Amino acid sequence: MAITGSVSKAFAHTEEAPVSERDLDWSVVQRVQAGNVGAFDQLVQKYREHIFSVIYNMTSNREDASDLTQETFIKAFQAIARFKGKSSFFTWIYRIAINTTNTFLKKRSRRRYISYENINEEVTTSEIFERLTAKSRSEKGAMVHELQEKLNDSLQKLSPKHRTVVVLHEIEGLSHNEIAEITKTSVGTVRSRLHYAKQQLQSYLKDYIS
Amino acid sequence: MAKLPSKRQADINLEDLLRLKRSERPSEQFWNEFDRELHQRMLQTLVKKDPWYLQVMRVFSGRILQSTAIAAAAVLVAMIVVRPAFQSTKLPISVADAQVPAGDVLGALVEVAMTELTLAEATSLPNYESDVISAEATLDEVNFVRDFGMEQMQVAAYDASAYSTDSAQARVAFASAGVASLVY
Repeated sequence: MAITGSVSKAFAHTEEAPVSERDLDWSVVQRVQAGNVGAFDQLVQKYREHIFSVIYNMTSNREDASDLTQETFIKAFQAIARFKGKSSFFTWIYRIAINTTNTFLKKRSRRRYISYENINEEVTTSEIFERLTAKSRSEKGAMVHELQEKLNDSLQKLSPKHRTVVVLHEIEGLSHNEIAEITKTSVGTVRSRLHYAKQQLQSYLKDYIS
Repeated sequence: MAKLPSKRQADINLEDLLRLKRSERPSEQFWNEFDRELHQRMLQTLVKKDPWYLQVMRVFSGRILQSTAIAAAAVLVAMIVVRPAFQSTKLPISVADAQVPAGDVLGALVEVAMTELTLAEATSLPNYESDVISAEATLDEVNFVRDFGMEQMQVAAYDASAYSTDSAQARVAFASAGVASLVY
């Protein structure tokens, strides 16, 4: 799971015994359910960037992504008393995020407003970007914006269900099984959607790839 | 759009491009603002007012509901008590017409239901017992004015064999009138 590394840092004090992320989350959830509302903050800190990333790449709008990420956590907070731990908290919160975003996208279908997040400086020094960009610094800057625009535009051309699979697998790094559990579909359906979505993206981004 | 040299294109695949999306990350300032707003919204959910339909239900479950329930109960009790009273006022007339023998007109018993409903009666169990009063008793106890003379009745009763049919009808009619005036 993509989030395991960052998550384990947040719970470094419990590393003495090998406890799964699911168990760690469940113990925090139980504390919240017992009335320790402040413990919910741990879950927010742990998942906020991943949830934001998913929603941002689904909507291509940073303000909407911020609102929907907050809405996701508020929904989770309101429903956490009913969370029985049958699935992991990770699956549950991702499912809330995906459902919240898809509901939003259906409402927003007629209006399409894009506002990009700033690309982190790391990208300009990455090996992939170095290969993509031209030599001079000014060309680099122009290339960053052009590529960002093209990538987001291509993602927005996909249907929400195909976009979801691409975002969760290619950007968030989740496995097919995890995506199947989050979207409540079969692994075969996930693979099929991913294959189709990547074909579409390749045609949209053919100027950048071989 | 400036195309990339083919040499570079060959090194890049779709997964590489999509991985670049991971670098679109908000700043630390964004997360500080995010946390502040989220805490504010979470607190609002804790003290948030209930939806309008719950508020309406709560209002109705309060005083309005109590007073409505009391009024409805009072109407129900009134219907239970008053309706039989009206029915019982009609009963003696038909009974007298059909069953009371001609010779027993003056001695016929008249049932009078108590129709006056007081608050105490409304809240207690209804008493359907009707007072049984004789025609004699009505003179003293009830504001009953007998509007026919006893002599006439005696004459009618004198030759019972000759006038039995007519007198019986007359007596029945008198009895009916007597009961009717007694009741109303």
